[in-house]
Amino acid sequence: MLQHIIFWLTQKRWLLFALAVGAVLLLLPVPSSMESMQGETMTDPIKAYRTMIIVIMAIILIIFEPVPLPAVALMMLFLQVILGIDDPNGVAKSFMNDAVFFIMGSLMMAVAIVSQGLDSRLALGIIRFTGNKTWRIAFGFVGISAFLSSFIGEHTVTAMMMPVGLTLIYNTSTDRDATKNLAALILFSIAYGSAMGSIGTPSGGGRNVIMIGYWQEFGLADISYLGWMRYTYPMLLVEIPIAVAILWFTFRPKQKVLDSAVRKLKVQVARRGAMTGQNILAIIVFLIVFLGWVFLSKKMGLGIIALIGVFLYLVLGLIRWSDLNRNTNWGVILLFGAAISIGLQMKETGAALWFANSAIDIMKNLSEDISILRWLIAVLLTGVLTNLLSNSATVAVIGPIVLNMGGDPIVMGFSTAIASAFAYLTVVASPTCMIIHSSGLVQRSDFIKAGWKMFIMSIVILFIMSKFWADS
Amino acid sequence: MKFLIAVGSKEYSESTLRVGMQIAKSFQAAVTIVYVGPKISDFSLPHVRLAQERMEEWDFDRPGVEVLEWAFNFLAKNDYITSTTIESGFPKNTLVQTDGNRCDVYLQGTISTDVNLILRNGDIISELRDEVARGGFDVTIIGGSQKRRMAHDMIQYIDSSILIVNKYNPDKTYGLLLPVDDSRKTPQAVKYGVRVAQAFGIKVDLLTVSKTNKFGKGYRNAAKRAAKMMRRMGIEYENHFKHGDPAVVIRETAGNDHIIVMGTSTKNPIAKFFMGSKPLQVMESNPCPILIVK
Repeated sequence: MLQHIIFWLTQKRWLLFALAVGAVLLLLPVPSSMESMQGETMTDPIKAYRTMIIVIMAIILIIFEPVPLPAVALMMLFLQVILGIDDPNGVAKSFMNDAVFFIMGSLMMAVAIVSQGLDSRLALGIIRFTGNKTWRIAFGFVGISAFLSSFIGEHTVTAMMMPVGLTLIYNTSTDRDATKNLAALILFSIAYGSAMGSIGTPSGGGRNVIMIGYWQEFGLADISYLGWMRYTYPMLLVEIPIAVAILWFTFRPKQKVLDSAVRKLKVQVARRGAMTGQNILAIIVFLIVFLGWVFLSKKMGLGIIALIGVFLYLVLGLIRWSDLNRNTNWGVILLFGAAISIGLQMKETGAALWFANSAIDIMKNLSEDISILRWLIAVLLTGVLTNLLSNSATVAVIGPIVLNMGGDPIVMGFSTAIASAFAYLTVVASPTCMIIHSSGLVQRSDFIKAGWKMFIMSIVILFIMSKFWADS
Repeated sequence: MKFLIAVGSKEYSESTLRVGMQIAKSFQAAVTIVYVGPKISDFSLPHVRLAQERMEEWDFDRPGVEVLEWAFNFLAKNDYITSTTIESGFPKNTLVQTDGNRCDVYLQGTISTDVNLILRNGDIISELRDEVARGGFDVTIIGGSQKRRMAHDMIQYIDSSILIVNKYNPDKTYGLLLPVDDSRKTPQAVKYGVRVAQAFGIKVDLLTVSKTNKFGKGYRNAAKRAAKMMRRMGIEYENHFKHGDPAVVIRETAGNDHIIVMGTSTKNPIAKFFMGSKPLQVMESNPCPILIVK
C-alpha cells in the first residue's frame, strides 16, 4: 500500500508542485504593483492576483501533464468560483462562445474529412504538380500542406498527408539508414508546411478564431474571413520557398530523384480506385462551409457555420457518430473553453494589463523603442509558450495580455496569432509534430535541428510583415 | 509462471530475449513480449490515432510493431518458440486495442501459442507496472541498455521479480552468484537461483556477507539451507563467507562473469525511497545480469 502511495506521489510530483505554488502564492500578499493599479484599470487587485495564480498553476500542469488535460480545464473553471473571482453563471458564460464552437466544429469536421480517405487523391495531385525530383516533391509537400491547412486546420492535413509521405519513403527503400534524411525532409515538409499554413485564414486554427473573438469582445477590431487572408497570405507565400530551402539544406537527402518510388506510388494509388460519390459529397459540404465562412461569418460566426458543416456530414451519412465521438478530442475542447474563460477573466480583472505593464518594465532595457519592445515581448512570449503548451491555449492566455500592451491592436493581435504557429522546436509543440514523430522515422533532436532555423526565419518575416501592417 | 520481457530496439534486445527465454523455459513459463513506445501528449492523442488509422489503411505498421515482429522471428529462428504459418491467419499485422494505450499484436499469417505480443505507449514504468498488474506476471525482464533510473524505478515500483540483463555475452561462461542472508526473501531467491542455474547449466557461488567478522546463527542457517537445496537438486556449488560492505563484496565476487540472483530488500518503502537498498546498490554497481526476487 505504502509503495503504491509513493509511486503515486512520484508520478504526480508536478501536480503537488503546482498545488504548492498555488497555496504559497495565495498566502503571499497581493504584489504592490498590482495594488497601485487599483482604480480605473483594476477594480479588484485580489481577483486579478488570484486569476494569475490559476494561470500559473495551469501552465505548470499543461507543460508537465501530471494529470489528464481535461482535469486541468475543470480546475481552471472551479477555482474561479472557489477563489471568488466570478460567480458560477459568469464562469459558465465565459466558458462557451463562438471560438469554442469553432474549435469543436473544426475538430469534428477534421475527423469527417480524414476518414474519407482523400489522401490518395492528394498523392496524385502532389506528383502531378511536382514530378520526380526530390526537392520539387518537398516543395509540393510544403506548398500543398500549407495551402490545405490554411483552410481545414493543420492536424487534419498532416494526418492525410503522412501516409502519402511514408509511401514515398518506403518505396524508395525499406532500409531506414538509407532513407533517414529523406524521411526527415518529407515528414518535416508535411508538418512544418501544415503549421505555417494554419495562419492563412481564420479557419486554419482555433487560435485565429480566438484572436478574432478577443478583438470583438474588447471592441478593438472586426476582421472578416477575407480580411484576415489579406494580412496573412502574403507572409505564408514568402515563407514557403524559404522553408523548403531550410529543410533541404538541413537534411540533404542522398536521393535527388525519386523515380521508381513515384512510379510505385502511382500504381498504389491506381489500385485504390477512383473517387467515390461519398468523397465528392464530402468535398462539396466542405466547400459550402468554406463559402459560409467567407460570406456569412460576420453575421453567423465561424463556429456556428462549422457546426452546420458537422450537422451536414452527420445527416448525409458521411461519418458515423460513433467514429466522430471516438476520434474527437473532447478534452482539448474543454481545455480551450477553460483557457478562453480565464483569458477573459484576466482582461476583466485587470491582471492582463498588470502583466503587460510588468513585462514591458522588466524588458525596457532591451530597446528604447516601445513599439518594438512590446512586439518583441508578444512574439517571444507566444513563440516560447506555443512550443511548451498548445498554440490555441497560448493565444487564449496571452491574447488579452498582448492586446493590453498598447500599440496597434491589429498588429499586436496578428503577430500573436501568427507567432503561435511557430511550434517547430519540440515534439509536444503541436499535434502535427507529434503525428510525424509517431511514425518512428524522425527523432526528437531533428525537431531542434530544423526547428530553430524555421523559428528565426518566421520571426524575421513576421517582423517585416508587421512593419508593413503598421504603415498601411 | 508468467514472464514479461520488455524490448526496446533490435540493437539492444537480443541478449534480453536470449537470457529471458532461457530462464522462462526452465520455469516452463508463459512469455509475453511488450514494446513501450513514447508517450503521446493528451493534446495530440486523437489526432495521432487518426493519422495511425490512415497509416494502417495504407498497410503501414505502427512504430514498435516492427520491433515485436523482429523479436518474434528471432525467437522462432533460435527455436525458443514454435511458429506456425497458416493461410487463415491475419492478412496483415493486426492490432487489437484492449485499452487506451495498449494493443494486442497479431502478426501476418503467423501463430504461436508460446508467446504474446503487446504494444503500449506511455511512460515506461507506468505501462510496465500496469501490464504486470493486469497480467499477473511473476518476472519482468528488461535490457541493461535502458536508463539506470528506469531499472531503479522498476525495482522500486513493479510488483514482480525483476531481471535486468546487463551486458550479457552468450559466448562467455558465467557462474551464478547467490547472496544469502537471514532475510525472509532468501528462500525464494534460492529457489529461483536453482532454476536459473539449471537453465544455463552453471555452477552456483553461495555468498554470505557479514558486516563484521562474526556470522550469526541466522546467516549460517541460511547458507546451510541453500547448500542443502543445491545438493538435493544436483547443482555444483561452493560456499563463500566474506565480511565487509555487502554491496562492495558482492560486486567484487561477481566480477563480470556471474549472473546474480538475490532477494529484494524487505526495508519499508519510505526507507527504500530515501536511502536505497542493497539490491539497488548491487544493481547500480555491477556489470552483470541480475535477478531481484520479490
